[in-house]
Amino acid sequence: MNGVERRKNVRRFSILATFSVLILIVFVISMNTGFSRLSPLEVFQTLFGMGTEKQELILFEFRLPRIVISMLVGAGLAVSGCIMQGISRNALADPSILGISHGAGVMVVLYLSFFPTHLDVPVLFLPILAFFGSSLAAALVFGLSYEKHEGLLPTRLVLTGVAVAAGLSALMTVLSLRLSRELYQFVAAWLTGSIWGATWDYVLALLPWIVVLFAFVYYKALVLDVLSFGKNVATGLGASVSKEQVKLLAAAVGLASACVSVSGGIGFVGLIGPHLARRIIGPNHKYLLPASALAGALLLLTADTIGRTILQPSEIHAGIVVAIIGAPYFLYLLARSNH
Amino acid sequence: MIVTENLDIAYDQMVIVKQLNIEIPSHKITALVGANGSGKSTILKTMARLLKPKSGHVLLDGKAIHQLRTKEVAKQLAILPQNPTAPEGMTVTDLVTYGRFPHQRGFGSLTKQDKEVIEWAIEATGMKEFAHRPVDQLSGGQRQRAWIAMALAQETPILFLDEPTTFLDMAHQLEVLNLLEELHEKERRTIVMVVHDLNHASRYAHHMIAIKKGTVVKAGTPMEVMQPHIIEEVFGIQCDIIRDPRTGLPLCLPYALSRSKKEQVHHIG
Ligand SMILES: Nc1ncnc2c1ncn2[C@@H]1O[C@H](COP(=O)(O)OP(=O)(O)O)[C@@H](O)[C@H]1O
Ligand SMILES: [Mg+2]
Repeated sequence: MNGVERRKNVRRFSILATFSVLILIVFVISMNTGFSRLSPLEVFQTLFGMGTEKQELILFEFRLPRIVISMLVGAGLAVSGCIMQGISRNALADPSILGISHGAGVMVVLYLSFFPTHLDVPVLFLPILAFFGSSLAAALVFGLSYEKHEGLLPTRLVLTGVAVAAGLSALMTVLSLRLSRELYQFVAAWLTGSIWGATWDYVLALLPWIVVLFAFVYYKALVLDVLSFGKNVATGLGASVSKEQVKLLAAAVGLASACVSVSGGIGFVGLIGPHLARRIIGPNHKYLLPASALAGALLLLTADTIGRTILQPSEIHAGIVVAIIGAPYFLYLLARSNH
Repeated sequence: MIVTENLDIAYDQMVIVKQLNIEIPSHKITALVGANGSGKSTILKTMARLLKPKSGHVLLDGKAIHQLRTKEVAKQLAILPQNPTAPEGMTVTDLVTYGRFPHQRGFGSLTKQDKEVIEWAIEATGMKEFAHRPVDQLSGGQRQRAWIAMALAQETPILFLDEPTTFLDMAHQLEVLNLLEELHEKERRTIVMVVHDLNHASRYAHHMIAIKKGTVVKAGTPMEVMQPHIIEEVFGIQCDIIRDPRTGLPLCLPYALSRSKKEQVHHIG
């Protein structure tokens, strides 16, 4: 038994290491691509402080923060999706499908329509505003899918989520019609998931949320495992099911809001990241959570890099690139979950 | 000992169980029997604090179980619900390991004792050769035994099982029942199970509770409960009760539907 366990751990470690190496490779590629071309050698020279001023500006002030943001947002959304899938026992649960990202969006648009003076939304304030909106959406969706005797109903959750997402999307569009042209464009870009807040300020605004919430959720990995057996078995094992579900859901909503407030409505990362990770590393959250984070980071970093390069000099928003991959993947999951 | 006091159980407005007063004797095997939909699972879940009653109490050693800390209850009482499902890809060993959850703290590293109990539970249920297989790829019977192993790993003096022998072939049914009997004999565990086969109940249980529409028709020894007029009232069938030549225990041989049932069937037909 111990031999098997040890072999399993080696395997899990190699999987996490492989993800990290892949991220590193895409990271290097991403540093090298963009509107102004820098050769790999120039990138390395600049990274070690031997580049020109212009090269330093491009790398440190434009590319690096954007890369870091993509990775943080990807990881945060994937972990958020992983939690939601665990507590609802539905592989289709993710912050954008359940309308939770849209709750954040409505809040941001509302803010802009009441304080439209300039786009300089207070950076640190934005995640809090977004959290408020997505909490309302989450309370609505999860509240409507909760049945007293059975706990969360997995199928009803996704159906309710899709309906709420559609409603909130429409609301956002209506609200943004009242905005100035400039703000309207901002909202439109936000909706499709441009990584717009790509400065170090946003990295600093995002990082503590991701770190603290991930640490909390990781500490709860065992509880998350037990919750994924459903209400009856989990209660029988001694978990305070509703209480733990609410705590973990709050963490998932917090992660999603923080991410969405700098990246806009990026869908599917919270769906594909954890699903991919689960297929490779299994359902144990102690390994699944970090694997989801890495898969999400890799996915969004790759999508953003593709979006920046494929149609140069114009850019495709990372959210659109992810959706092009994500939509078929979602259909595939849907077809699979039918049997 | 577990006692229920004037228990009313309802799903929203629909009252399923009314004024239920039953006693589960300690260190004995109790069988809950009754027709489909009579409320056996509902009663079992309420006694295990998975459902909250509308009114009344469930007392575990004199204390109201719904007021106790759920993790403390989990050290006293393990329950295997009907049709549990495991996440895709989870292996038997992993599943059984979660049986140790009530005994773990925080991040949950396993002690030597935890590991021994897990190994014992896997062996006792005959799951050793499947220990590293994913639960969702096992046959119904193997899966059932994996779940029983999880409940055993909880190491509780009280064990509730909802239809532990459904999906099993005859040999595996006897294997599970023999295991429960052994747990009772060697470790004096209190066991409550829902079973469909009356003859299994008679053979393995010391105490039987016959349920109809959420109320107790008769509780007592198999000898007291296995009587033609009681079986007719509870299940709507007519039967002969004979003595098992081997054990002397009552055996039920059904021969017809009772008249009211026959009329129902005629109406449908
Ligand atoms: N979650 C639920 N919501 C509403 N009614 C339920 C629920 N679970 C069971 N019931 C109803 O309660 C009654 C008793 O069911 P149950 O306890 O499962 O019976 P048994 O286990 O004896 O077959 C049935 O009429 C069933 O339809
Ligand atoms: Mg039942």
